[in-house]
Amino acid sequence: MSSLDLDRSAPHPPSREDEDSAATPRDTGGRLYWRSLDRLLDSPAVQEQLAREAASEFPAGASDAPDQVSRRTMLGIMGASFAMAGLPGCRRPVETIVPFVEGPETMVPGVPRRYATTMPLGSNAYGLVVESQDGRPTKIEGNEQHPSSQGAASTWMQASVLGLYDPDRSGTPRHRASGGAESESAGEAEGGHGEAEGGHGEERAAGGGGAEPSTWEDFLAFVQELGTELDATEGAGLALLTTAHSSPTQARLEAEMAVRWPRSRRVAYESLGDANLFRGCEAAVGSPCRPVYHFEKARVVLSLDADFLNHDGESLANTRGFARGRRVEGPSDEMNRLYVAEGSLSLTGAAADHRLRVPSRQIAGLAAAVASQLGVSTPAGFDAADLPSGAGSKIALIAEDLRSAGAGALVVAGRQQPPAVHALALEMNRVLGSLGSTVTLHEMSDTAYGDAGDLAELVGEIRGGEISTLVILGGNPVYSAPGDLELGSALGQVENVVHLGLGIDETSSAAGWQLPEAHFLEAWGDARSADGTLSVVQPLIAPLLDGRSAIEVLAMLVRGAEVSGHDLVEETWAPVLGEGGDKAWRRVLHDGLMADSKAPEVAVGGALQIPALEGVSAEGFEICFLPSSATYDGRFANNAWLQELPDSITKLTWDNAVLVSPATAVELGLRSRSGQGDRVRLTYREKTLEAVAFALPGLADRTIGLVLGYGRSAAGRVGTGVGFDVGALRSSAAPYFDGGLQVEKAAGTYPLSQTQEHWEMEGRPIVREATLAEYRSGHDDLDRVFGTFRNLDPEKSHQPFGDFDYSESPQWGMAIDLNACTGCSACIVACQSENNIPIVGKEQVARGREMHWLRVDRYFSSVDSEVPDDPEVVFQPVPCMHCENAPCEQVCPVAATVHDRHGINAMVYNRCIGTRYCSNNCPYKVRRFNFFNYTKDTPELVKMAMNPDVTVRSRGVMEKCTFCLQRTSEARIAAKKEGRAVADGDVKTACQQTCPADAIAFGDIRDESSEVTRWKKQDRDYVLLAELNNRPRTSYLAKLRNPHPRWSPESAMDGGAGGGDHA
Amino acid sequence: MPQVFPKWTNKVPLYIVGGLMVFGLVVPAFIWYYFSPEYTDVGYMPEQPVPFSHKLHAGELELDCRYCHAQVENAAVASVPPTQVCMNCHQLVARDSEKLAVIRDSLSTGQPVEWIRIHNVPDYAYFDHSVHVAAGVGCSSCHGDIRSMEVVSLQEPLSMAWCLECHREPEQHLRPMDQLTNTTWKPAKDQIEFAAQVIEERRIQPPEDCSACHR
Repeated sequence: MSSLDLDRSAPHPPSREDEDSAATPRDTGGRLYWRSLDRLLDSPAVQEQLAREAASEFPAGASDAPDQVSRRTMLGIMGASFAMAGLPGCRRPVETIVPFVEGPETMVPGVPRRYATTMPLGSNAYGLVVESQDGRPTKIEGNEQHPSSQGAASTWMQASVLGLYDPDRSGTPRHRASGGAESESAGEAEGGHGEAEGGHGEERAAGGGGAEPSTWEDFLAFVQELGTELDATEGAGLALLTTAHSSPTQARLEAEMAVRWPRSRRVAYESLGDANLFRGCEAAVGSPCRPVYHFEKARVVLSLDADFLNHDGESLANTRGFARGRRVEGPSDEMNRLYVAEGSLSLTGAAADHRLRVPSRQIAGLAAAVASQLGVSTPAGFDAADLPSGAGSKIALIAEDLRSAGAGALVVAGRQQPPAVHALALEMNRVLGSLGSTVTLHEMSDTAYGDAGDLAELVGEIRGGEISTLVILGGNPVYSAPGDLELGSALGQVENVVHLGLGIDETSSAAGWQLPEAHFLEAWGDARSADGTLSVVQPLIAPLLDGRSAIEVLAMLVRGAEVSGHDLVEETWAPVLGEGGDKAWRRVLHDGLMADSKAPEVAVGGALQIPALEGVSAEGFEICFLPSSATYDGRFANNAWLQELPDSITKLTWDNAVLVSPATAVELGLRSRSGQGDRVRLTYREKTLEAVAFALPGLADRTIGLVLGYGRSAAGRVGTGVGFDVGALRSSAAPYFDGGLQVEKAAGTYPLSQTQEHWEMEGRPIVREATLAEYRSGHDDLDRVFGTFRNLDPEKSHQPFGDFDYSESPQWGMAIDLNACTGCSACIVACQSENNIPIVGKEQVARGREMHWLRVDRYFSSVDSEVPDDPEVVFQPVPCMHCENAPCEQVCPVAATVHDRHGINAMVYNRCIGTRYCSNNCPYKVRRFNFFNYTKDTPELVKMAMNPDVTVRSRGVMEKCTFCLQRTSEARIAAKKEGRAVADGDVKTACQQTCPADAIAFGDIRDESSEVTRWKKQDRDYVLLAELNNRPRTSYLAKLRNPHPRWSPESAMDGGAGGGDHA
Repeated sequence: MPQVFPKWTNKVPLYIVGGLMVFGLVVPAFIWYYFSPEYTDVGYMPEQPVPFSHKLHAGELELDCRYCHAQVENAAVASVPPTQVCMNCHQLVARDSEKLAVIRDSLSTGQPVEWIRIHNVPDYAYFDHSVHVAAGVGCSSCHGDIRSMEVVSLQEPLSMAWCLECHREPEQHLRPMDQLTNTTWKPAKDQIEFAAQVIEERRIQPPEDCSACHR
């Protein structure tokens, strides 16, 4: 059913030779795929591990108990629980039903409701729709009407619901009587918190450095008194340090503050902000503005170190547009082409058709070289000749391709590149004619952004004794500020430090007033999205703990009175809404945004101003700071979902590592072993950090990628002491990249938990890809293009277990477009949130026991068999395939996994006895086993994040993707009640719903007109391991790349910073 | 030489075999019955915090079930009414009744009344009232003749086998839509023909898949 009637000859079964080739990468269509560097280098450790795995079916240690519990103790515990198991069962447990006293009018118990709200993140705002189960928010999805999310939600947005229920959030204001902070944060700069444990936890228990519980009334009294004092001096000595934001209400209150205390300082700091972008745009255009990219209109895209598909602010909208521009339904469809120049390997680089490995400092030179080809004269400070060897011919080709695309061209610069590069990118767009088409500039208002430079200025004033009161609203600057500022010790010189934060973190430990912040899901607020659209933040729940939002605390400070967030927001919005405001306001609350409130476009006349570029030292190794795909800049460090989410590229969990290219690893004498990394010592600007190294192909040689956001010393029970605090090395002068780094191998190794080597697919052609040209020309023989194992003809293949009756609609099926998938992993978090998937921890991940029902496999491929410098990357999401001839079902001794009449391979937890035969027999390795009762110690607060429509599994039970059975059931019941059939689009699985690339289709495969059927009818459709005749219900659409026909792979970019030529 | 074993020992094997046979029949039969929800659960009649009489309210006063259990047609749970619903009438009727003290306290303190759950399916079974009502399964099919109960007790075992009985042969439980809350409803003589017609009309296909209830 899921297969195609392409009338192809029956494929041959895999020969013995195929199986023997398991240990080496499999050659498919001229490409070599491998799963990790170890695999490619065929290191003895991998061979050994493979041999072990082959003997035991499971990764080594997969059935061992964790170290803390020996097998003997375990048996003892089990014996005791068996002995007592019968007793409580004798008596019927008394369960109570607790109705409301006064039932809310529109609330139906057990029926979730959805509210629109907005998540502010830096100077960005993302519209969300949050599901509320009987009053508690449980699931976050994107708001389809919102320009910045367009129905999708990233990993961070979805996981923020767990952040709401973080048991380490602080509950009451705390105050430390004698001012000033001790040297508590001095430990920050030391780095290497990898194994730090215990000590910080005790500190936390003591309440963040001896602070006593206080009340908001006390704080209000304090600020009232402070305000009167400040009035006398016009606010001299007062400084406000906020995060970047785009909130009109906060901007209004800050303006009020400037009026009341003209001499006060107001500074914003964002560890990973868009200050470079905004400064570049402002310098180029002459007024504050923000670019919005329209990738759906782009035909040729050049990314200058921009990770616009993942870490840049507007990545969701960008991914939507970009994927739309790559949607191919048949050979006649067009596809956009993406060139990426970057130093580290980002998801955008992974999606590129052509990727140039260029150290970050040479991006400017490359930009100038492309610009000069487009007729833009080289601006001051740029050196168009500062290029990696062999780049010249490529640049001419890129420029020509951009020029031929005209208004369909798009040049994007990355947020870590200096303002001058952003200005130059805009100028290139203007010259190409794409300004106003693929990129529009919108007036920017109400937005505060800041960078390390602004903060450094403030720290200078603090050290100069000019600041007596510092109010830190949100954020954790002591941790996230560049290490060279030593903000923690500087705070000791400030008489009054007030910090508003979600938990007791590094900054609040150094503050006299430690105020609990309300999570955005429990606070009123507002924000402008990138194009200026006014969005409202509305609370889903009353503050669980006694928290206040940033605007409420700011109002306390400025007005000396407590004003509710709701009133503050209404004050701001009343003039905007105008007459009949009430009705309009309710519309805004319903939609989560104000329709047609986009900021006007900025008209650009002649040539743009490009500020002068400051050169970056080319000495030594290049240090390059990267956002973490899990903790961002460290703010999500206490979020277990994110900590356990494998990094899209490295597949590392629970850690950050020093990323080096394979050639650099060889140069430094670093070895690559499965599960272990060599330690390295980094020395930069007289600071030293020891961390673990990880070789990753695709990095520019001699560029060292450091992932921020780890090594927190006071994050909470999940995030404290995880990874290495590389921010300590950061310099405020060059917060993103710089030269002059020294790297040497240090003694010892460090354990790393990757999800990479597990569930190896043994070299069979699992991912299929081709170029657009190959696909078009070879359209009459797609076997040749995509590999030999095409789908089986159901009519001809043997049915060993008889046919199920699949006559009843709906018959659920899924299709995944590998051409759209960017590997962002939002689907994994969606699945985790929707299906109550437990967290297992670093040690268990190392044993291959992660519980994610959906994994995203990452394959590297290259055209040569040498150690690849420039790998191509493919991502493949793998959920349960819901095979019609399911191998798991045949081996279950208790029929705990069975088919239902809608074609779902169901898992019946209450029948499962945990033999794990099913997992053994599953060729896709998508089944997950609860080795322990992972949810036993879940704190009460965290239980509130659970989806009540899905069973929470216990120890000894197998689980796996159910095609979101709760959602299909809901749709089935709703349709039944309305007396109709389930319609296409009634059900969206959690992964499908959140996918920013629209890479997943789900629906009834009996319905000829459904989207999933249309996808499956495409000629790129294939199923995994079709030769096994499992007949998976999940199929894939093969990936296509769109390389430039004249791009010659022979002269592949060298990427070496200090020279070194391949030829 | 005298015989080692006395003569009666000849019958021991017979007794053993006979005993085992009896044991083999009795024990399973014992477990079959006494361990089943039919024995352990049916008849469960806990004392509720408020001596609310369904017999009086639903039986004699003929209040519709859905006046209190308002969400039965819309949601998975039928919903136990908020305190306010009791007071809709009782601020006028029987205002000072001692039996209503708990209800009045609840309203004045804002503390909800904690009713004891009688009809309970395991947490891993997801039962939906609304779809059953929409199919024409009446209240009494699962809850018994509530209108005649002074104190509510469990009438049916609510075991999986019991659920499946009806899912396999729903004919005896499908009613005209105006009879849903009639707890003394009995199938008419032409029930089979009526049910066949209803199954056609309402497209009733009671699922027997595990995944219908377990997820």
